[in-house]
Amino acid sequence: MNPETFAFVVVGAGTFVSAALAITAQEIVHTIIYIGAFFAGLATIYFLLQAPFLGLLQLAVYAGAVTILLMFAVMVLRKRIFAREARTALSALPVLVALLLGLVLVDLALRAPAYLPGPAYGVDTLSQNLFLVNGGWLLLLGLVMLSALSGGVYLARETRSSSVARETRG
Amino acid sequence: MSIPLVDLLGLSGGLFALGIFGIITRRNFILLLISVEIVMNAAILNFLAFAYYPPAPGLGGVTGQSVAVVLVGLAATEVAVGLAIVLALNRLRGTINVAEAIQLKL
Amino acid sequence: MGLLGRRFGRAVGWVAVFFEAGALVSGFYVALAEMGAALPYHDQSFVWLNFPGGTRFVMGTLVSPLGALMLLVINVVGLLVVLYSNEYMAHEEGLPRYYAELMLFLSAMNALVLADNYLEFILFWELVGLCSYLLIGFFYKKPEAASAAKKAFLVTRVGDVLFLAGVFIFFASFAGVHGVGPITSYPGTACPSSPPGTGPTWACSGFVFAPPNANSAAPFLAPGTVTGDPSGTLMTLAGLLILGGAAGKSAQFPLHTWLPDAMEGPTTVSALIHAATMVAAGIFLLAITTIYLGFTPTAALVILGVGGFTSLFAGTMGLVSPDIKRVIAYSTISQLGYMTMAVGAAAYLVVGPGAAMFHLFTHAFFKSLLFLAAGSVIHVVGTQDLFKMGGLRKAMPITAGTMLVGALALSGIFPFSGFFSKDDLLSLTYSATSGVPLGFLFFALSVAAVLLTALYIFRLWFMTFGGEGLREPPAPHPGGHPSPKEGPGASPSPLHEPSWVMLAPLVTLAAITCVAGFLPLIPSFAHLFPGLTWSIFGYSKVGGAWAFSLSDLTLSLLSLSLAFLGLGIAWVFWGGGRVYRMPTGSPLRGLHGILQRRYYFDDAYDALAVHGILVLSKAMDWVDRYVIDGTVHGFEQGFSRLSSRVRTLQTGIVSNYALWLVTGLLVLVIFFLYGVPYLAPLFGGG
Repeated sequence: MNPETFAFVVVGAGTFVSAALAITAQEIVHTIIYIGAFFAGLATIYFLLQAPFLGLLQLAVYAGAVTILLMFAVMVLRKRIFAREARTALSALPVLVALLLGLVLVDLALRAPAYLPGPAYGVDTLSQNLFLVNGGWLLLLGLVMLSALSGGVYLARETRSSSVARETRG
Repeated sequence: MSIPLVDLLGLSGGLFALGIFGIITRRNFILLLISVEIVMNAAILNFLAFAYYPPAPGLGGVTGQSVAVVLVGLAATEVAVGLAIVLALNRLRGTINVAEAIQLKL
Repeated sequence: MGLLGRRFGRAVGWVAVFFEAGALVSGFYVALAEMGAALPYHDQSFVWLNFPGGTRFVMGTLVSPLGALMLLVINVVGLLVVLYSNEYMAHEEGLPRYYAELMLFLSAMNALVLADNYLEFILFWELVGLCSYLLIGFFYKKPEAASAAKKAFLVTRVGDVLFLAGVFIFFASFAGVHGVGPITSYPGTACPSSPPGTGPTWACSGFVFAPPNANSAAPFLAPGTVTGDPSGTLMTLAGLLILGGAAGKSAQFPLHTWLPDAMEGPTTVSALIHAATMVAAGIFLLAITTIYLGFTPTAALVILGVGGFTSLFAGTMGLVSPDIKRVIAYSTISQLGYMTMAVGAAAYLVVGPGAAMFHLFTHAFFKSLLFLAAGSVIHVVGTQDLFKMGGLRKAMPITAGTMLVGALALSGIFPFSGFFSKDDLLSLTYSATSGVPLGFLFFALSVAAVLLTALYIFRLWFMTFGGEGLREPPAPHPGGHPSPKEGPGASPSPLHEPSWVMLAPLVTLAAITCVAGFLPLIPSFAHLFPGLTWSIFGYSKVGGAWAFSLSDLTLSLLSLSLAFLGLGIAWVFWGGGRVYRMPTGSPLRGLHGILQRRYYFDDAYDALAVHGILVLSKAMDWVDRYVIDGTVHGFEQGFSRLSSRVRTLQTGIVSNYALWLVTGLLVLVIFFLYGVPYLAPLFGGG
């Protein structure tokens, strides 16, 4: 086992465990800490996969921005910061479905043919590909982001009608 | 020589199943969002795995990384909108428990 | 602007004036640079999208003579209108919105004339259309204004669809010739098919048309250069589709119906958008397309015919309208008809569209002058009904004088600017149609329209300013005034001139109207009108020397005498405070009715839309009732029993839905992954 594979196994296991912890944690703040670890672990895997740009993007966007954003959302919903996930009894079906899904996917992974690693790419190649060949997708992403921005602002603003409704509700 | 493809795909599949598990069992909206993020990241990892092991010339490779970049942007957008929905939900109903927001019911 | 506007309060208008003045200064700078430039076209662009297969979309700016001219027109009129708005609109609600939309319009319009390819052009074309819609519906609480805005939007949309189809044809046809198609212009790309000596810039760009070349048709693409279309049929179709787009924007027959209704917007908007700039965008589109229209004589003649017909057609409707703004709107349609006709003639003769652009240039100034003067009358009197006005000459001498200048220019009376531009345009059309009998008919129609023009505009002037006093005392709450609440400016008495804020634009525009006709005498300025032969009573300057043409002189005298004849008729009927009302028994009464109903065009469109949809929906109803319902009722019974059981599965909780979704997907995946390979041999498959 070479060092890269070893690192991958360690980081991958950590990533998986932190994801599992994030989903099962009782306190939502803990969840956010675990999910931050999960994002950072994935970023490391991206570096190992010779995608440094993606790794940095993952660190900046997910481990940084998204985690902080989640934290802020929890802080805004102040009274719920220590809200515990209601411990509902897990029925058999969801567990079974998720387990089966995981098994199917792992089985699919085992069937994957042995491809050879391609040549490594620099960020310049990536950016050329992104802006020229796949420019349409990038443009589409921009449009989606723009509409999401306006939609998000619309949803999150404190409307007069909603505050009135809250007052009348008591 | 380096990370085997099987391991990568296995990790990706495991994360995907984990995320789905979260989506179908959790009741807290924020946890739901986080589960969706895990699913998205599993998909991104899959793209990057095939960017590293291109199945054929013109497939995978740098295009895989491009798609991954677009997906990262998309997922981040989704979190932002999702959190806006959480805030709106909290404001309108005083709860972020999806089991209480059951307007979809006929 | 709209966001900051509330903070500025009433001062928002002055902020707008400041920025528009900045735009004017830069517009002047660009235009002066263009006048003195050795190379007529300056293109700065970058590749926006690069598709596999060599298709590229380019964004960029192109400074061309036509664009520089439009920059001047837009920003001069824009500045004066914004200044004028500061008093005219002072008492309205929603000022920040008004100025924000106005400034958005101005910036979109400036970008439109600087666009260097059709794709970019369409983007800004739609944007100005949107601003027009918003501004017509500015008084959105008035139902007429809201419906007029909708109408304008929908009718121009018809034209836009045609325009888009035309551009697609261009794109598909030229992609093979130039590699990139006319939608894109890409500096430095050698054009395989460009004729020798024309340089690389023009043929690659859809916008650049060659400088007029008296010797041959070489500057224009020769027929047959289009891939797979040797006869040029496709190009003719594309030309006609482009005409459709221009007709929608410039309110040409039969898409003219929206412009008179657009007068529901504020008068300032009418002056800026529906007289000087946006409606001229259609003409500008045709002008920049002349390079392609040049080799489809059929399309060129159709354009000429549509323009000629519209010029007379709209003029007749202007004769009977009782609304001061609508009369001017009809005259705008009519004048735009002249320009369309001139572009058609230029394309037919394969010369630059300078004559049309010259008329566009002069028309923008005198027409916005007329609108602003009408606006100041409305502002003071509080009504738009001509029959209630009168005698305002004494109370408002400056408005009356400036409006007289505008009316004289519109009628084409020497030495005002309209005389020169209309003259050049008519002589160009005459030389294009002298050998084409059908074309000559339309030319004759447009000459007849000169008489009508003088008639209706002086009818308006005499009814407004002539006579002893108001025919009807203004109502305490003026119904015709667009203001929802009464401001000090709308108070009925005493009648007085508005302040300098509104007068200064009037006087400036009147001064420009007096001199604009002579401007092409400056050689560098004439450079902005490619293909224009400036002439005065038959004398024209060709290649530095003066030449005389008898037919030009005849034409000048003919149109001048027609204009004076129209003026005279107007004086007989409406001069000195007379109000001519047609006697009820008159045989012309029927015609009058038709004109007042605007040739029943609006009714026809309504009927078409309403009845068409009614018939369609009746057919749908039948299908629904007998075909679908019959089937459905059978299923309904069974499913209603089933559903009462299934609905208990619906909890309304999203997670549960997700669970079922995933379960279903998983079942499918497992079936196809493991089940099918196992089962297939059992059924004899591979």
